[in-house]
Amino acid sequence: MYRWGEHVGELELELEAPTEPALFRDAFAAFCELAGGDGETDGEQRTIELEGGDRGGLLADWLDELVYLADAEQFVPERLVELRLDDGRLRAVVRGHRGAPSCLVKAVTRHRLAFEPAPGGWWARVVLDV
Amino acid sequence: MSRAQRVGEVVWEVPASAREDMRVPARVFADEVLFEAIERDGSLAQLENVATLPGVVGAALAMPDAHQGYGFPVGGVAAMELPDGVVSPGGVGYDINCGVRLLVLPLRASELADRKEALVHEISRAVPAGAGKEARQRAPAELDAVLRDGPRAWAGGDDLERTESGGCLPGADPAAVSERAKARGAGQLGTMGSGNHFVELQRVARIDDPDAAQAYGLAEDQVTVLIHSGSRGLGHQVCTDYVKRMEDAMRRYGIALPDRQLACAPASSPEGEAYLAAMAAAANFAWANRQAIADAVRRAIARVLGEEAARGTRQVYDVAHNVAKVERYGGRDLLVHRKGATRAFPAGSADVPAPYRHVGQPVFIPGSMGTASWVLAGEPGSRTQAFGSTCHGAGRTLSRTGARKRIGGGELRRQLEARGITVRSPSNTGLAEEAPFAYKDVDRVVEVVHRAGLARPVARLEPLGAVKG
Repeated sequence: MYRWGEHVGELELELEAPTEPALFRDAFAAFCELAGGDGETDGEQRTIELEGGDRGGLLADWLDELVYLADAEQFVPERLVELRLDDGRLRAVVRGHRGAPSCLVKAVTRHRLAFEPAPGGWWARVVLDV
Repeated sequence: MSRAQRVGEVVWEVPASAREDMRVPARVFADEVLFEAIERDGSLAQLENVATLPGVVGAALAMPDAHQGYGFPVGGVAAMELPDGVVSPGGVGYDINCGVRLLVLPLRASELADRKEALVHEISRAVPAGAGKEARQRAPAELDAVLRDGPRAWAGGDDLERTESGGCLPGADPAAVSERAKARGAGQLGTMGSGNHFVELQRVARIDDPDAAQAYGLAEDQVTVLIHSGSRGLGHQVCTDYVKRMEDAMRRYGIALPDRQLACAPASSPEGEAYLAAMAAAANFAWANRQAIADAVRRAIARVLGEEAARGTRQVYDVAHNVAKVERYGGRDLLVHRKGATRAFPAGSADVPAPYRHVGQPVFIPGSMGTASWVLAGEPGSRTQAFGSTCHGAGRTLSRTGARKRIGGGELRRQLEARGITVRSPSNTGLAEEAPFAYKDVDRVVEVVHRAGLARPVARLEPLGAVKG
């Protein structure tokens, strides 16, 4: 589950999920909402592999990759085919298409970055620069 | 109860003793209304965090347009002792050298008359706007030339002379910019981007300082174009890359901070030097971006108003809002971080272009869409109180979500057009997020910097049309 919090200048994303991979999946869903994909065209695939840092840093890096693909390649993500989290590593396969992402996110900040155990699983917060 | 004390007519201060980790006071330029907003939205707490950075001198400063940012508040200024004080990429911001450029056309608004709408439309066609909108892809060598030389890579003459730092920061090194950053920027030169970026057609509604206005070439009812954009995805990627690199480096330097976004390293360290070289390159890219946009605006003017009007369109100045620069204060070289703040050097400064040196550096303060913008001139108080700085805009007071809840883009467009302001925007959502009520009162912000002696009003500009990103 994700929700958008109040931040005067930027966008604050809060996430809650029963497991860590589920939280990363929810972050993907939140980004897709901003990127404006309709889930119907997923002719291209990207594999994302990340390593290192703490879970909060890895979450920020995960969203950073999606920002990069949207900005550099105009890749609109549609579907998360695979996501694996092992130790400090993430591997994900994303399907989508090249188009005109309506995404306003320009960067993923480390400001107030949080990734913590919570009742029922995990809770995280990340502030997106828009 | 607030920890801040009023220490001047429009100056508030949290003493360094308020927190164990603060090295200097946190000082805010504001009246009661603006200070209350700055305290309420968390900007003051962020400024206190800035006051903990190693090497910070004097005070961490916030301008009256300050609002909640990430790490630094937007509207923040901090100067670091060199060589070992830190440089913080978050203290410059993601949009490195986001800034504004003012052009003045050789005609009055009354002479523009019914060609206004056509001109706004032509500008919207000439300048790609909105997320993901691209321009011609630049070859690697061409992009490297822009990173190294800024707009000098193709432009010259008055535009460069009337640009802060001549449009080129020294020490720029394309090799310090990652391939990912270059991939993001290669197709974005000459594009506006999204968010609060714009190109606005305006008229000079009022002159407050006739001498400075004359030096800047501004007369009542004259038509101007204000361009607001930055370093696009390239600058964002540079900041992203170096925040992560400095997070890792901080452990080696024994630096602990209250906010990860303040990640920093000594300016003289390998990480600090590499960031400064990459930041300078991104700043040069941003100046080149605004130059390319100005070129496109001149082409639009030629198509609608004729070649003579385009040739007679002069650049008043171009100022950076997000940058770190080495400047000299009190006999010391300091690294001044401005994040959402404008350099505002007073009359007599060698860094001010010769035609303006007797009146001070021009400063442009965009208001919210549909309200006024200001041309100011730097005053001596900027150097004695604020490391040569002043405000940069109206400053947000309402979140984007909050703005969207209060008005739809279509309705806002109708309201603005009913007031005679032509609007072009690729996104109704983006338009609503920039609604005038989401920002502070720009006149109030300008009054504070005037009362504080940081800058003085020269001219008030009112919008005729807006092209939004």
